[in-house]
Amino acid sequence: MATESIKYVTPDSDTKIETKAFPRPGQHTKGIVNWLTTIDHKKIGIMYGVAALFFLIIGGIEALLIRSQLWDHNMDVLTNRQYNQMFTMHGTTMVFLVIMPLSAAFFNFIMPLQIGARDVAFPRMNTLSLWCFIAGGITLNLSWFFTGGSPAIGWFGYAPLTDTRFAEVLGDMGPDFWIFSLQILGLASLLASFNFITTIINMRAPGMTMMRLPVFTWMTLIVSFLIILAFPAITIALVELMFDRTYGTNFYDFLEGGKPHLWQHLFWIFGHPEVYILILPAMGIVSEIIPVFSRKPLFGYGLIIFSGAIIGFMGFAVWSHHMFTTGMGIVATSAFSILTMLIAIPTGIKIFNWIGTMWGGRIRFETPMLFALGFITMFMVGGFTGIMHSSVPIDAQHQDSYFVVAHFHYVLIGGALFGLFAGFYFWLPKLSGKMLNEKLGKFVFTLMFIGFNLTFFPMHYLGMIGQPRRTHSYNEGHGFETWNQIATIGAFILGVGIAIGVYQFVTAAFNKKLKPAGKNPWDARTLEWTLSSPVKEYNFARTPIIKSRDQAWENNYGPKENHSDKEPLDDHGVHMPDRSWYPLVTALGIFGLVLGMLFHQSVDLNTGEIIRDYTYAIAGGVVAIIGIIMWSIEGPAGYHLFPKESEE
Amino acid sequence: MKKLLTKIFSLSVKILPVLLIAVSGCSRIDHKQSALDPKGLVSQNQYDIFMLSVWITIFLFCAVGGCLLYVLWKYRAKSPEEAMEVPAQSHGNSKVEISLILASTVILVILAIPTLQGVVLMNRLPDPNDSQALEKYDLNKSAIEDAITVNVTGKRFFWVFEYPQFGIVTANELVFPASKAVRVNLRTEDVIHSFWLPKLAGKMDLMPGQENFLWFVADQNKILTKKDSEGKTIKVSLNEAMPSVYDGQMRERIFAKQKFTDEFEAVGGLFYGQCAEYCGNSHAYMSFRALAQSDDDFDSWVKSFQNAQNPNKQPSEYNPEKEYSKGSVVSFPDNSLGESNSREYRAAVKINKGQAPNLTKKGWEKAHSDDYEMGKQLFASLQCVQCHAINRTGLGSKGPNLTLFGIRTSLAAGWMRNDEENLSQWLKNSNEVKFGNLMWNGEGVDDDHPLRNLEDDDVKVNQLVAYLLGLK
Repeated sequence: MATESIKYVTPDSDTKIETKAFPRPGQHTKGIVNWLTTIDHKKIGIMYGVAALFFLIIGGIEALLIRSQLWDHNMDVLTNRQYNQMFTMHGTTMVFLVIMPLSAAFFNFIMPLQIGARDVAFPRMNTLSLWCFIAGGITLNLSWFFTGGSPAIGWFGYAPLTDTRFAEVLGDMGPDFWIFSLQILGLASLLASFNFITTIINMRAPGMTMMRLPVFTWMTLIVSFLIILAFPAITIALVELMFDRTYGTNFYDFLEGGKPHLWQHLFWIFGHPEVYILILPAMGIVSEIIPVFSRKPLFGYGLIIFSGAIIGFMGFAVWSHHMFTTGMGIVATSAFSILTMLIAIPTGIKIFNWIGTMWGGRIRFETPMLFALGFITMFMVGGFTGIMHSSVPIDAQHQDSYFVVAHFHYVLIGGALFGLFAGFYFWLPKLSGKMLNEKLGKFVFTLMFIGFNLTFFPMHYLGMIGQPRRTHSYNEGHGFETWNQIATIGAFILGVGIAIGVYQFVTAAFNKKLKPAGKNPWDARTLEWTLSSPVKEYNFARTPIIKSRDQAWENNYGPKENHSDKEPLDDHGVHMPDRSWYPLVTALGIFGLVLGMLFHQSVDLNTGEIIRDYTYAIAGGVVAIIGIIMWSIEGPAGYHLFPKESEE
Repeated sequence: MKKLLTKIFSLSVKILPVLLIAVSGCSRIDHKQSALDPKGLVSQNQYDIFMLSVWITIFLFCAVGGCLLYVLWKYRAKSPEEAMEVPAQSHGNSKVEISLILASTVILVILAIPTLQGVVLMNRLPDPNDSQALEKYDLNKSAIEDAITVNVTGKRFFWVFEYPQFGIVTANELVFPASKAVRVNLRTEDVIHSFWLPKLAGKMDLMPGQENFLWFVADQNKILTKKDSEGKTIKVSLNEAMPSVYDGQMRERIFAKQKFTDEFEAVGGLFYGQCAEYCGNSHAYMSFRALAQSDDDFDSWVKSFQNAQNPNKQPSEYNPEKEYSKGSVVSFPDNSLGESNSREYRAAVKINKGQAPNLTKKGWEKAHSDDYEMGKQLFASLQCVQCHAINRTGLGSKGPNLTLFGIRTSLAAGWMRNDEENLSQWLKNSNEVKFGNLMWNGEGVDDDHPLRNLEDDDVKVNQLVAYLLGLK
């Protein structure tokens, strides 16, 4: 690096002393310490991505075990409890440890580049949310090794099945691990969301008005708002459940006057927005890719953003369509039915606009575009079956059958995962500086597309002929066998496709055969493509002054007055903050607190009384608080870089 | 490489539809639990709305997907040079957008109207005095007025069916008159379950601390017809479609006609249902059956249940002060069955007051086989009675009520055929048949429990089987 660096020296001597007392790892930190202490949004994004891909493999293996068990009637690949644990863990993993963090990976890596910022608003908080996410993932999967194994309550954890009264293994700890891991994951998501909102609102480059924001950034903003509004509901639900399980309160215990309905309302008022939390980032990615590969601006930019916001808003008004069969009465079911139908309209608008974008374009079928087109078609199927479920009488047959399984996998794999894979193929060249192998990419797409449809299309039919969800086995004579076998074959094809894809992503940075990408390999439109690939640690050597939407495209093809400008370089160069240990320390403290809470109970073998020992939980909490205190007093520190103008 | 890939791709595109057609050729829609084969008013309504939504979405898929394909084909970049051209940079067209929004709203309204009507139908029986509604739904007035009520209680992992109008309780097999509507009140004593009877009613959850409702009425015309091998609809006699349950004809017919392993076509009046809400380890095993009956057969079934569950009608000890008509059953002490045990005898002729109970004479005959009597003793001594009732008190006990178990068609919550072989397998080691079932794993059952020691005891098992299947 032809950059010169100096230690940052402040005129304030107090800060200087503190900086000396608690030194932050500096500019030249290398190796593992660099990754553990980094506060660079790009590295955090990469770690989010790698961890999520790891969990994708774990969740995928769980899915394949499920599919193997369903190969034929009365199979015994898994026992019923193991099977129930598998679908619980598969669901929880895929929702909280794969799709959400993959979206977070893109938010982290791409969003600051798209708005012309050097980092997110609170870099260390960003690191904390990463480590909280990883602590949550570890907590959830630790459950395999303790009493009762992992939870067997479904990802929705319906009360009163979660009550200790109905535990099927004495002293089952699975649901406790589930509760605490979701709490930490919720913390991670909330921290990240506040961070992204602050970043998008405050740290846009000059000229980057809200209506010039790339759609992906808009979706980041909407999803972040959804998260901060939706997660409190599940946090409360989980706290109540923890109290029920640990201290014998009666929130959901119907025998003591509690209400299992309460859990369902709280869960789905989180759970339905959660569906949009999962799908809107993918919609944002696809809205970036289709214009690039059609060489046209997004058709109806304003309407796409508005419909995204409407979907997000209405997402809070449709939760009870998950509960049509719980006996809410005619009025409530009818109202939620109509509202659910209405939400189809903004969703349809997006599809119309994507087609409108391609209309009159010059369409190239490279891998990201193939995945984006796969997204549109598969999401359409999932959306249409969604319209069916909005009708209560239809739902009375479909609810909890394989038809629903088919529906939400079309939305979450055909939709979200295809969109995220499109994002990987689209943005990895920016991340690694190298073009991915196009042929291999197309091969992965073919495998995934065929495997996915083979797996999930037959499930529509299986649901209609009466196969219920979450059953570890089915009896002879129902006629389920053939289609389940096709689905299982499809699942393995899909699994191979995803595995090759993941291999391709992970090796992208090390594979020496790949061609260099250059700044803008796709001739793309948004601001991140004006930067070199891989992006330098300071992102922008000089802050850009934005003149139009689709700035990278305008710089190449637009009239002169639309070309972006640059702010002059400051005298002290680019100030880069030092790395910090304290987000990691804080996350470790929270992790310790959670483990302490999980294991605080024991039974006195002589008296049979429950002994509560909070020592470890308190110790963990103290570590977390110390982490936060040290974090606030460690001082800014940092160093300055003086990049030349060509180096960005 | 590229050629190979395109070859593979085009080949798979060609093969896939052929494969799909081939497989769908051998698949049918009238499977046991198929919602595509509705046999009642409510499920028919649900099916009709479903098919409406299917046609709407197929239309939309073809319209939008066709548009997409057209655009992809028409505007594809045909050469690398063309891929670098810059087309006109249009940003949108508000007229197109508004008309598409209006069009989708209209389509949703088409679906919304029958949906709202369907919601009301699912939740309320039509008014029996509203002749228009009855005509619309093709119902008799009596079908609604004389509707029967069944209180369903879900338990892990079986079903209790209580008939409050008749004061009887049964489990796992819901017998109902085909000509009458059935009101189903749904309750649960533990976790959430869901009552799913696809061919008749759709589903409704059993929520703790709350009573839910669902109703259905079977369509007799559909029960009394079936498709022959050429696909033609043919009439079936009443007796063939709905063999009587109370005298065991239904059981015989099902066993004779169908292999449990490979049956799609049920006896017309036999319906399959299942718990549809995840309720724990053995959720998958929590199924049930619904058996339609003609009015007379249903009445007979109710009578025999009432008799079997009426404590005043159980065989009592012989009383010399009483007169016994031919066929009445009385119990006498019989030490051959064990100390202070008794056995049931049936009067072969009329027995006069005070006539000595001379059992060696022609006057009395053994009501049951020795195995039955031994099994009856075992049923008590092996603690079966602690969970299973064979009388009216079945409600509230831990296991399924076993009254008239011998006429049931299925065993272990509809999981298997109720014949001697299966029943003895079930009694020997129920955990092998249905892993995690509560008879084997429930509260208070450990390795010392007598139930767990039956595995190598063929004698006892045979006696229990004789007793249970003898309950007719």
